[in-house]
Amino acid sequence: MNDVTTPTPSTHVNDLQRIALKVFLTDDSTLDPRDVIPVFHRWIQTQAVDGLLIDVADYTHLPTGPSVLLVAHEGQYALDRTDGRLGFQYTRTRPLEGPLAERLGGLGRTLVQAARLLETDATLPGPVRFAGNDIACVANDRLLAPNTTETLTAFRPALEAFLHTVSGEADWSLTREPDPGAPFAVRAQAPTPATLGSVASRLAASHEA
Amino acid sequence: MTWKDALGDRVPDDLGREIDTYENQMALKRQGKIDDKVFAETRLRRGAYGQRYDNGQRNDGTGVKPLPFPSSGQTKGPDTVWDAPGMQRIKIPFGGLTTDQMETLAELAEEYSDRVVHITTRQDIQLHYVHIDDTPDLMRRLAAVGITTREACGNTVRNVTACPIAGICRDEAFDVTPYAQASMRFLLGHPDAQDFGRKFKVAFSGCRQHACGLVNMHDFGAIGVTKEVDGVTQRGFEVYVGGGLGAVPHEAKLFEPFMAEDEILPTLQAMSRVFARLGEKKNRARARIKFLVAQLGLEEFRRLVRKERAALPGDDRWTGYLDALPAYGEQPLKTGQALGDEAGSPAFQAWARTNVYHQRQPGYVTATVSLPLGDLSSDQLRQLADVARRFVGDAVRATVEQNIVLRWVRESDLPALHGELDAIGLARPGAESIADITACPGTDTCKLGIASSRGLAAELERRLADQLDTMDESVRRLRIKVSGCFNSCGQHHISDLGFYGVSRHVGGHVVAHFQVVLGGKWVDNGGAYGLAIAAVPSKNIPEVVRRITDRYVAERDGAESFYAFTARVGKRALRDMLDDLMAVPAHEVDASYYRDWGDPREFGIGDMGVGECAGEVVSLTEFDLAGAESQIFEGQLQLEEGNFERADALAYGAMLQAARGLIKTEDIDISDDAEQIVSEFRRRFFDTEIFFDRFAGGKFAQYLFRRHERSTPADGLDTARQLIEEAQLFVEATHACQARLAAQPVVMPPPLDATTGAGRPS
Repeated sequence: MNDVTTPTPSTHVNDLQRIALKVFLTDDSTLDPRDVIPVFHRWIQTQAVDGLLIDVADYTHLPTGPSVLLVAHEGQYALDRTDGRLGFQYTRTRPLEGPLAERLGGLGRTLVQAARLLETDATLPGPVRFAGNDIACVANDRLLAPNTTETLTAFRPALEAFLHTVSGEADWSLTREPDPGAPFAVRAQAPTPATLGSVASRLAASHEA
Repeated sequence: MTWKDALGDRVPDDLGREIDTYENQMALKRQGKIDDKVFAETRLRRGAYGQRYDNGQRNDGTGVKPLPFPSSGQTKGPDTVWDAPGMQRIKIPFGGLTTDQMETLAELAEEYSDRVVHITTRQDIQLHYVHIDDTPDLMRRLAAVGITTREACGNTVRNVTACPIAGICRDEAFDVTPYAQASMRFLLGHPDAQDFGRKFKVAFSGCRQHACGLVNMHDFGAIGVTKEVDGVTQRGFEVYVGGGLGAVPHEAKLFEPFMAEDEILPTLQAMSRVFARLGEKKNRARARIKFLVAQLGLEEFRRLVRKERAALPGDDRWTGYLDALPAYGEQPLKTGQALGDEAGSPAFQAWARTNVYHQRQPGYVTATVSLPLGDLSSDQLRQLADVARRFVGDAVRATVEQNIVLRWVRESDLPALHGELDAIGLARPGAESIADITACPGTDTCKLGIASSRGLAAELERRLADQLDTMDESVRRLRIKVSGCFNSCGQHHISDLGFYGVSRHVGGHVVAHFQVVLGGKWVDNGGAYGLAIAAVPSKNIPEVVRRITDRYVAERDGAESFYAFTARVGKRALRDMLDDLMAVPAHEVDASYYRDWGDPREFGIGDMGVGECAGEVVSLTEFDLAGAESQIFEGQLQLEEGNFERADALAYGAMLQAARGLIKTEDIDISDDAEQIVSEFRRRFFDTEIFFDRFAGGKFAQYLFRRHERSTPADGLDTARQLIEEAQLFVEATHACQARLAAQPVVMPPPLDATTGAGRPS
């Protein structure tokens, strides 16, 4: 990573906006990314998910990174293959209101709502299931969130608050991305399997409360 | 905290000021204090492009729908919504990248784009889906690692390209890199290069025979040559001018067989002045320097440039860099060492066979990282930077074939390098082969795209990659290049097998097609331009490739090149092979033809109600369009036989027939008199702007008007060829216009008055 004079994370992490959340396909899932292309196009036609949906980008020829993107004005939905593990990711690109933990909650609801649609899409051969106890959080902002332990320290309270919403008292373990050149990213894993449906219910209940 | 603060003095003062000014202009635009067109040119000169759907609407497959961006009417150019995502082009002079720059590009792709980095056919980098508000910080971060986006677009000197193996090539006269670098630095922001009517592209090559520099298709192309004078070897350049692809391609003309090295920069400056002073400014379609050269004639153009050169006040920069030339050169990271006898894995062998070039320096090779569609993910780019840092240092370049080369690899490191590239998904074999296809962005992101060039290229790559190991060597070496439209960003003219996207109106639907372009030459710096022989439905293009390559293998005469083979067999015979592939099955028989590659949407304009009356008229139009295309093809054959006047007449006739066909949608009784056709066409379709292309305006119609007004036919190869290209574009524009008309709701005409004919559609 290029050496950049960065601010103190504790004072700026809360300003983070470019945040991505990702859930991973379970081992028993079957999903060819190319099958998702027509699904995303249909989502645009039916306005099935949050945001001003613009277009679909096909990167299925790439072995890593985004495989199929649904680009919205506010963010990007992606069937994502970063690090070789297929999952579903929502990356916020435009600002959201509210404190960081609240923004994470909003991102989580957007992600889970769309991922649930994939799980239940009848056109996908499937089965398609995402694990509710394995979540990656990425901060695409090296100015506010360099990939350091200090950033993790500053980011942890908001992330843990979000994870608490996701699954109550589960014992989440947090692992920071070790590559200093990569964006700040944390992998949160809980030992007890959880369905995305249960996560969706908890997030919705928390939001309504 | 801002990036401006964080980067501080890492951003060079001059670049920092430019970016501050750009940011201020953005603020003024938001306040409504800058005109749309002025701001558009301002951002374009910073490489900030528009992107498909930035006019705020998109066909989602069921019809054109608004995209209600929250811009409150704010625009960043004519018909370009502020909040719509855009494309950022990043100039990489001669494709040279440092590992720090690669890491920064990866970071920018992650933070401002879609985590994908795209290499272009002119050694640039492009990021897509970038919000204009993010561009100033993006530019500052680039500036901090020595990259400017200034003049990456707009009517300026674009990226200066050069052979990616310059300095290590076994066949070059000398390393042209420092000359390319000096030209870039000298021309960037030069006052004499700021008032062009259109862009100006410069390229350098170290030899005549290879393709790496593509001098033949540049506005200013220089091939390094040497000559002996009094026993001393002098460096110089064979300089070409007026080349260019685009809608109407021109092969470059020899401006000077030996231009001394110290004359390159002043000549570029003088040429810039002549181009700025005399080049077309109003008609964008005729504003490239190729048109000025054609209009003035090469002799007169040369005289004017030399006169201008003689009058230029001296400038130390013209020769200042030459003093440092003896010391110029990349320092290899490691000592050269040959590869031992170890065979390596089959995967390594396959990769080494196609992706490794033995440098002229013993013990060193250049490894090509073959990128599918010119793409790599931000992770891959960052990891590649790490690999490069350990194996070759900063000896990395992007290529015009949308790949990346690692130069100065110690040969004995190859197995380890292959292993590391494989671990990050970048050890794809087949570099610079028929399965390593060049494609412009096309309908994926380009506003001008007609068909999915990337979709077709991806499909062809999938099919051909599987056959690489068993493929005939003569076929493996061929090149395929695909453009989404006639503008040739995919460089289809100089490919063995070229394709460019068009559309055809079939039974009330629009169907994606590609024109099949044959007769191009990749070698010899893009030494010959191909011509379109047939428009084939997009879904049949893989079969086109199969048939033509199979025939080449079967009928090749010894070591005959593909170029020579197509010339010998002839376009008529090759076209005959494709006749059955040009047909489109009815929608109810095979709907897949009505969708483009990689896109499940119904292609084109979606909901087309066609009434019976219109249906009949449309069929007459299509009949004329088919006739026009036949005339163009016949014109090509005449051109090849040297019958330039006949070729000219056929091209002119094709335009008249297409225009007549279009007029029939309004007046079925139009005569075949040329004067009446042109007059009626002008009145009904040009003056009303019905014929106008959304981006090109009325330029295609001007091709007909100009030829009609010219009393004498073309008498030379260049002019006849140009008219054939123009006729092809005119016919394509007629197809597009017909499709637009057919897409409009059908209004049943009032009953005809039997005596006066009143009520006839007009």
